[in-house]
Amino acid sequence: MFRYYLLLGLRSLRRNPALTALMVVTLAIGVAASVSTLTILHVMSGDPVPSKSRRLLVPLLDVGPRANYSPDRRDPYMTQSTYPDAMNYLRSGPGVRRTALYGVMASIEPARREDPLIDLSGIATTTDYFPMFDVPFRFGSAWSAADDERGARVAVLSKRKAEAIFGSKDPVGQRIRIWDTDFTIVGVVGDWNPVPRYTNLINGSGGYFEGEEQLMVPLKAATDLAAEPNGNVSCSHESAAGWAAFLASECTWIQAWWELASASDRPAAQAWLDAYVAQQQRGGRLERHAPNELFDVMQWMDFLKVVKPDSKLAVWLSIGFLVLCIVNTMGLLLAKFSTRAAEVGVRRALGAGRGAIFRQFLVETTVVGLAGGLLGLALSFASLALIRQQSKDLSAVAHMDWEMLATTFAIAVLASIVAGLLPTWRACQVTPALQLKSQ
Amino acid sequence: MEIRPIFSALMKSRTGPLLVAVQVAISLAILANALFIVQQRIAVSERPSGVAAERDVGHVYVRPLRKLSHPEVLAEQRREAAVLRGLAGVKAVAWTNQMPLSRSGSSSSVRATAEQVHESAQPSQYFVQPGFIQALGLRLVEGRDMTEADVMESDPEKDAEAIPPGVIVTESLGRALFPNESRFVGRTFYFGLGGEQATRIIGVIERLQTTGAQPGEAGEQSVLEPLRISQPGSHFAIRAEPGQIDRVLQEAAETLRKTAPVPVRTFTRSMEVDRTNRYRNEKALAWMLIAVSALLLLVTVSGIVGMTMLRVAQRRKQIGVRRALGARWRDILRYFVTENLIITTGGIAAGLLLALGLNRLLIAYLGVPRLPLEYLAVGAVALWMLGVAAVYGPAARAAGISPAIATRTA
Repeated sequence: MFRYYLLLGLRSLRRNPALTALMVVTLAIGVAASVSTLTILHVMSGDPVPSKSRRLLVPLLDVGPRANYSPDRRDPYMTQSTYPDAMNYLRSGPGVRRTALYGVMASIEPARREDPLIDLSGIATTTDYFPMFDVPFRFGSAWSAADDERGARVAVLSKRKAEAIFGSKDPVGQRIRIWDTDFTIVGVVGDWNPVPRYTNLINGSGGYFEGEEQLMVPLKAATDLAAEPNGNVSCSHESAAGWAAFLASECTWIQAWWELASASDRPAAQAWLDAYVAQQQRGGRLERHAPNELFDVMQWMDFLKVVKPDSKLAVWLSIGFLVLCIVNTMGLLLAKFSTRAAEVGVRRALGAGRGAIFRQFLVETTVVGLAGGLLGLALSFASLALIRQQSKDLSAVAHMDWEMLATTFAIAVLASIVAGLLPTWRACQVTPALQLKSQ
Repeated sequence: MEIRPIFSALMKSRTGPLLVAVQVAISLAILANALFIVQQRIAVSERPSGVAAERDVGHVYVRPLRKLSHPEVLAEQRREAAVLRGLAGVKAVAWTNQMPLSRSGSSSSVRATAEQVHESAQPSQYFVQPGFIQALGLRLVEGRDMTEADVMESDPEKDAEAIPPGVIVTESLGRALFPNESRFVGRTFYFGLGGEQATRIIGVIERLQTTGAQPGEAGEQSVLEPLRISQPGSHFAIRAEPGQIDRVLQEAAETLRKTAPVPVRTFTRSMEVDRTNRYRNEKALAWMLIAVSALLLLVTVSGIVGMTMLRVAQRRKQIGVRRALGARWRDILRYFVTENLIITTGGIAAGLLLALGLNRLLIAYLGVPRLPLEYLAVGAVALWMLGVAAVYGPAARAAGISPAIATRTA
C-alpha cells in the first residue's frame, strides 16, 4: 500500500505543478536559511577535540593589584598567564603533559637583498604541545625536551608554509634565518587545523577560526632572543623597562595548558593550583585572593565567547523564518487538498478508513518534504558558498559535515510533516455522503 | 461598507485566513526586529573616524629585522619620514604607533584622580608628534595643538613608561574623565594605576576613533601622547593626493625597503581597507538579515496570493450570483480587498505583540537594545500595503467572473 501511496504522491506532484513547485521552493528556502545559520553555529560551537576536551585544562589566575579589585568586575584582557607562573606550571604543574605558548611573528631574511621577505606568524611553545594537541607530522618530528631546556634554535613549520618556502621536498635539516639567528628545521606539521583554533584562541594571526600556526619554536629560544609577543599583552602593575623586567613582570601574555590522564583528576589539579597560589601569596604575590580557575576546552571557548551573539541571533531569526515557511506550506497544502475532497469522498465510500486516507496524504506531504529537503540542501550549499565570500572567519566555519547533512534532511522532512498534519487531518474529515451527493 | 457579511463569511471558514494571519504576524515580528538590527549595524559601521577625507589616507608599517639602538631608531624614523615625504602624490606624513580602525594597538586605563579605585576609561594610546593632527585632518575644538616642546623622548629599554606632561584627548575621553565638565583643557588625570605623575590636557580634538572602534563611547576614547619613542616598528600615516593612496602606499613600502640600511619588513593598508575589515562581520550580518527579510516578504505574499486564489475558486458561483444581481466589478474587488485587510490587520495586531516578545527575548539573551516603535509602524504599514498588492491580482480576476456563471451548475 505504501508504494501505491508513494506513486499517488509523486503523481499528485505533477498534477498542480505550479502549486507544488511553490510548496517545494518555500520549504527549501526555509530549510536552507536555517541549515546555513545552524551549520555556522554548529562549527563555531563544536568540540574541536572530543577525545580530550575534558582532560585539557587552562589555568587562569587573577594577578591584578589588590587596590582596584572588586569581585564582580572582571578584567576583560586578563585571560592569560604571567611568564613566571607559566614557567612554574611547566616545571611542577599537575597532569601528564604541560605546555605554554605565546604568539610570535618572524620574517625570514632572503639570501639576496632584493628578494621579498617571507613572513611567518606562529607560536613559541614546548615539545609537549605536539602530543598534547595530537599534532601530526608530515616530515621529521617535534624537538626534544632537551631542546626546550637549552632553548635550541630549532623550528617546526606548517605544511603550507614549508611548501611555500621549500617546495614539496623534505626540508628537515634546512636552515632559516629569523630574529637575526639561524634556526634548523626539525619537522613539518601535517594536515592539522582545528576549528575553532582552541589551542591558541588569543592569537594575533587570524582569530578564533581562521589562520594557522606557520612556525613553532621552543619557548626558551624565543624568550632568549627577546621575540616580542604577537597577541594580547595585559599589564595590571607598573613594571620596569627592558625584556628581563618584562619576563619577571605581572603582565599576562602566555597561554598555559595542562593535560590530565583523566577528567576525574580535575579536583586534584584544582587542589594543586590552590596550593600553588597559597605558596605564591606567602611570597607577596596574587594579592587579590580571587578564585583560581580551571577551564576545560569547551568551558574555555565559552569563557572567551568564541560563539558571537550574532551567530545565535542569525539562527533564531532563520528558525522563525522556517516556521513562517511551514505555515505557508500548510496553507498551500490546505488549498491543494481541499480541491480533492471529491476524491476522498469516493475512496471513503469505497471502504477506505480514515487511517488509510491519513496515511495516503501523509505520504504525499512527505514526498513534498523530501523534494523540499533535496532542493533545500542544494540551496544550503549555495548559501554557504555565498557566506564564505563574506569574511575569512566565515570561510573557515561555513562548511557542512555529515551531521549537518543528516540534520538538513531531518529538518526538511519534519517541517513537511508538521506542515502536512493539519491539512491531512482536514482531508480525513470529509464525509463521503456529502461529497458524493454534491457530485 | 459591507464589513459584517465579509466577517461572518470569514468566520465560517477560518483555517485558511487564520494561517495567513499567522504568517503576517510572524513576518512582522521578524521583519521589525531584523530591520532594527540591520539599521543598528549599518549605523555603527558608518560612524566617522574623525579622520578627514579618509579615502585618501593610509599607513605603512616598517620594522627592521635587526635590533637597532635607541639613537639609530630615532634617526631611522626621521630618515623614513623624509623619504616618504619626497614621494610623488604624498601630501602629508606623520609617525605614529597605531592607526584608528586597524584593530591592533595599545590602550591604557586612565583615572581622573589618583585615589579613584576604578578607571574612568580605557583609551587608545596614540604616540604622535606635531603634524599628526594636520596630516589626519583631526578637528581641534579646544586648547592648542602639540609643539616640538611638548614632545618627550623615550627609550623603552630604559624608561619604564614614558608619560608626557601634556596630552591631547578626544571630547569623548574628556567626558568620561570629567562627566560634569564641558571644557577639559588644563585638567589633569592619571595613566595606569594612578601613580605619582599627573598629565595635563593641553588640547581637545572632536573625534578620533580607537584602533578597535568599539560600539558606543569607548570607540571614541583616544589620547594623543607627544612622544618620540624608539619602538622596533614604526607606522607612518600618509595622506595622498585624491585617488592616489593605493599607488602611494605601494611605492612607500618599496622605497622604504630599498633605502633601509638593514633588511626591513613592511606592510601597508589604506583606511578604506581597515574600515572594511573592521566592519566585515557587521556587514555580513546585515546582508544576511536583509536577504531573510526579502524572502520573508516574498513567502508571505505568496501565502496571501495562494489563499485568495483558493477563496476565489471556492466562490466562483457566489461571485457569479452577486454579479448577476447587480454587483459591480468594483464591489467584488472591494469584497476581497476588505476581507484581506481584516485578515492582515488581525495578523498585524498579533505581530506587534509577537515582535515585542521577540525583542524581549533578544534583549535578554543576546543584548540587543529595545525595539523603537517606528520599526513596528514601518513594518505594519509595509505588510498592509503588500497585503493589498498581493490580493489585488486574484481579486481583480475574480471580479471579472461573468454573471452567466451563476446560471450554470458546477
